[in-house]
Amino acid sequence: MNRRAFFSWSVAGLAAIWAAVGVSLGAAARFLMPSVFYEPPQTFKIGNPGDFSFGAPTLLPDEKIFVFRDQEKGFAVASAVCTHLGCTVQWFSSDDRFHCPCHGSIFGTNGEVAHGPAPRGLEWFEVTQARDGQLNVDKTRIVPASYRLMVKV
Amino acid sequence: MKNRTPQFFFALSLLVLALLIGAIWQASSPSWKTYQSQFYRLAAQQEPTAAAKDAVLRSRVSIRQVLLPGLQRVDRCTTCHLGVDDPTMAKAAQPFTYHRNVGPHPVSKFGCTICHGGQGLAVDKTNAHGRVEFWSQPLLTKDYLRASCGRCHKEGDVPGVPELAEGRRLFETHGCRGCHKLNGVGGSIGPDLSEEGANHRQPEWLKRHFLEPNALSPSSPMPNFHFTDEQARVLTFYMLSLTSEQMGAYYSSVRLIPSPEFGRKLFTERNCIACHSVGGTGGRTNSPDLAGVTKRHSIGWLDEQLVNPEMISPGSSMPAYEMNSNERKALIEFLNIATVDDARQILMGRPKGLTVEAALIEAGKQNFSRFGCVGCHGLQVQGGLPNPNSQGGEVPSLLHVADDYTKPEVAAIIRNGKMPPLADAKGPAPPLYMQAWRQMLTDEEVSRIVEYLWSLQPKKDTAW
Amino acid sequence: MNKLQEVYRSIVRRDPLSTEKGKAELVFLNVWLHIHPVKVKQENFKVRHTFYLGFISFYLFLILVGTGVALMFYYRPYPAQAYQDMKDLQFVVFLGSFLRNVHRWAAHGMVVCVVLHLCRVFYTGSYKKPRQFNWVVGVILMLLTLGLSFTGYLLPWDQLAFWAITVGTNIGGYAPLVGAKIKEILLGGHNVAEGALIRFYVLHVVVLPSLVVLFTMVHFWRIRKDGGLSRPVWKLEGEAAGQNAPMSQPLVQIGGAAAPPAPLRKGTVAAASKDKTYGLMEVVTGKPLFETIGPEESDDEVFSFPYAFYRETIAFLVTLISVMAVSLIWNAPLEELANPAKTPNPAKAPWYFLGLQELVSHSAFLGGVLAPTLMVGALLAIPYFDKNPSRRLASRKRAIWVFTAFMVVNFVLIVVGTYFRGPGWALTPPWVHVTGHE
Repeated sequence: MNRRAFFSWSVAGLAAIWAAVGVSLGAAARFLMPSVFYEPPQTFKIGNPGDFSFGAPTLLPDEKIFVFRDQEKGFAVASAVCTHLGCTVQWFSSDDRFHCPCHGSIFGTNGEVAHGPAPRGLEWFEVTQARDGQLNVDKTRIVPASYRLMVKV
Repeated sequence: MKNRTPQFFFALSLLVLALLIGAIWQASSPSWKTYQSQFYRLAAQQEPTAAAKDAVLRSRVSIRQVLLPGLQRVDRCTTCHLGVDDPTMAKAAQPFTYHRNVGPHPVSKFGCTICHGGQGLAVDKTNAHGRVEFWSQPLLTKDYLRASCGRCHKEGDVPGVPELAEGRRLFETHGCRGCHKLNGVGGSIGPDLSEEGANHRQPEWLKRHFLEPNALSPSSPMPNFHFTDEQARVLTFYMLSLTSEQMGAYYSSVRLIPSPEFGRKLFTERNCIACHSVGGTGGRTNSPDLAGVTKRHSIGWLDEQLVNPEMISPGSSMPAYEMNSNERKALIEFLNIATVDDARQILMGRPKGLTVEAALIEAGKQNFSRFGCVGCHGLQVQGGLPNPNSQGGEVPSLLHVADDYTKPEVAAIIRNGKMPPLADAKGPAPPLYMQAWRQMLTDEEVSRIVEYLWSLQPKKDTAW
Repeated sequence: MNKLQEVYRSIVRRDPLSTEKGKAELVFLNVWLHIHPVKVKQENFKVRHTFYLGFISFYLFLILVGTGVALMFYYRPYPAQAYQDMKDLQFVVFLGSFLRNVHRWAAHGMVVCVVLHLCRVFYTGSYKKPRQFNWVVGVILMLLTLGLSFTGYLLPWDQLAFWAITVGTNIGGYAPLVGAKIKEILLGGHNVAEGALIRFYVLHVVVLPSLVVLFTMVHFWRIRKDGGLSRPVWKLEGEAAGQNAPMSQPLVQIGGAAAPPAPLRKGTVAAASKDKTYGLMEVVTGKPLFETIGPEESDDEVFSFPYAFYRETIAFLVTLISVMAVSLIWNAPLEELANPAKTPNPAKAPWYFLGLQELVSHSAFLGGVLAPTLMVGALLAIPYFDKNPSRRLASRKRAIWVFTAFMVVNFVLIVVGTYFRGPGWALTPPWVHVTGHE
């Protein structure tokens, strides 16, 4: 075979090899991405609407969230994790504020920073009603503080 | 240089690329993704608005799992079985069907495999349902599913699963322990059954084995007990519940509250009425009346009394009946409500009153049954089981044991075991033998068995 | 554009590959390729001479390292987690089951190829002077390969793994004096348990691969210094029978003559050719390494680029394709979780030790001590006790027969152990399928 033909076959071969290398790198990247997480789930059910009281928010310490229930406006779920360095904040009915015991950050009823070193307000998570009537919280979906879920009880 | 080398090189490199893409394609299209997309389409149909439909259709396609460190497992069944907690899917076809009657066992806390069996770590149907070689707990069919209740609820009876209690009763009364160990107590002639439920015996295999042991285990010396089909079924239930789950505190703390009916059954079986009257009926004068006893003593005291009567009430002739904690709770529940009518009803079932000695002999009889002696020596203590190459060729009857031995000799045989004398000294050892029970029975229990055996002797005519 | 060219020229400094100088520089200026000589002899690269078994063994090792490192991202070497991680690799990790399959089949393939390579080197007499020590290095590499396979065998922590290693370490424990101590060091105890798992993991992932790399470097280096790949037997006609390998480069002559020189006498300097370039290492006193000074180029010399590189690449592609194809079709085995209380009947060592297990079933001393010691000892001794300088099959009949018999016996023992031994190690025909459970 002449030089030209030889040249093109080997170039084509090299091209295929480089393509294989590229595909392998892509596959390697996908390989390293975990398909399952050995962590508590980010979406979970917290119970039936009737389980939650009106007025002061209910703290769920394992899930680190506060569940607000308002007679007129419905349900809202806020993160209980202080945005400063991650401590769990507490609700005080005396001044209707969240207080962080670690460095004194204070958050208002909408989660906004009222005082202290926290850089941002508390996050609000999407809460929906699942098909079996229970409330479903999705921590991967952040919603504005005004978000409310109305449920028929 | 060979002329065709460059083409060869090109062909091979193309083949590598093709195989690589093939492997990636195989890994990227698992069946669970298809099922998830199908489910979202189904769920979207039920949404009222187009926006809601859209939201459902855009749901993430990913592996779902329930982490259960307290049960030492991870269940990924909900990757395909997405409708288990969705009542609107009650009419949907599998794998999307809603799971009714989950009750106090939500999927998020219990997963699926603890009851249903199967391989929780897998995400394709065949492997997940566990019907593969090398997975010891395949999916249980509907017929035997309720046996799983006994995996956690080990003590007492389980509402809705009478098979477990009945199977257990048959096990205890037919002397299975004589050859099979269960939780450390029993003989070594047959396999240890403590984990039989996790041994990947299929339920049908177990049932057939109860009906015809030698059909499935040709060289086994296990006798045919001539169980009925129903008896074999309930025994299979009991076998399937025998697993040793290591459960975290949350799971082991949750127990059924045992029913007073169960306590009544125990009260009757153990012949408490022989010594203790209730409201003045039954019993004998030296033993306390049990009506209202739960108001006179704390539950803890009563519980301890049942475990160790000698220690609580020194000098008491009440035997320690070996009940587990749930049985004791049930008994105490019954005593809480027992009235003189109960006592009368129970007494009516008995032909005559029992003396203390008779009660102790009764305890010995129950030991003889529970520890499996009846398995070899027969339900009527008649012996007769074939035992090749032993002198006499069969397991001896114990009805005349008092003729040939003294009581201490018999006690020693029970404690230390005995190999039957060989018919042919050069032949193989007989498969059935008396093993040493001293590690498993207290001296008390041994002497009660001896007393029971002596009680079987026909009364000798003193005047010859 | 000029900037790009400047950057390119700073990295790639050789002449274009169309020139002879460029072809040479590609090899000796490149860190990855310079183990090769600039020119190779065509006949040495014929498939029917070496079957590329050495190359294939090396490629399999590379594939094993690549897939092995990938698997390490998901595998935890502790009994409580190992089996679950194997299941995760099988079911939820992207390409997890494919990578595990590749790793397993490449491992078995490497053991087979290494043994076949040993056979080939023996049959072509390529272990003879001056290549004796390289043969020894090769035997060491073979033992390291078996060690890697054995240590890796335990890692899935299933019944197959657990009991194979129990049997294997017990066979090793039969060695007198040191056996018990070595077993204790391997297991970190007296039984296979979590101590054994972590030790086997470290051996498998760090210690043994490092040793393989080091010895491979010696092995490849010795190939060059011994005069390159051995000549195929059919090429020995042209050169004197029993020819020992010369250096590949003639010595330098200062000043030049144009004509190709006649065969040389000992002590003379080869004529230089004016269209060649030579590199001079150093000038010292002393005798040359090899007594004979080789003639000018053989009639079948070609540049490594592209001749040798093409063939090596093709060999790599064939190896890769074979392993990938097998991995797409057949899954590596994974049995139930390891259960120390439940011995499968029969419990078998990994297949390459089944010959020894078969011998052990007759006599522990024979199978556990005598046979392995004799085998390894005999292999190591071959090049030093073989006085026959000839490499031709016809002149080495006895050696060929003895070696072949040895290989066949081994093969038969392994086949018997694999297919003809059932419960209780009783002879069972292979079509009687025995499971450990109903």
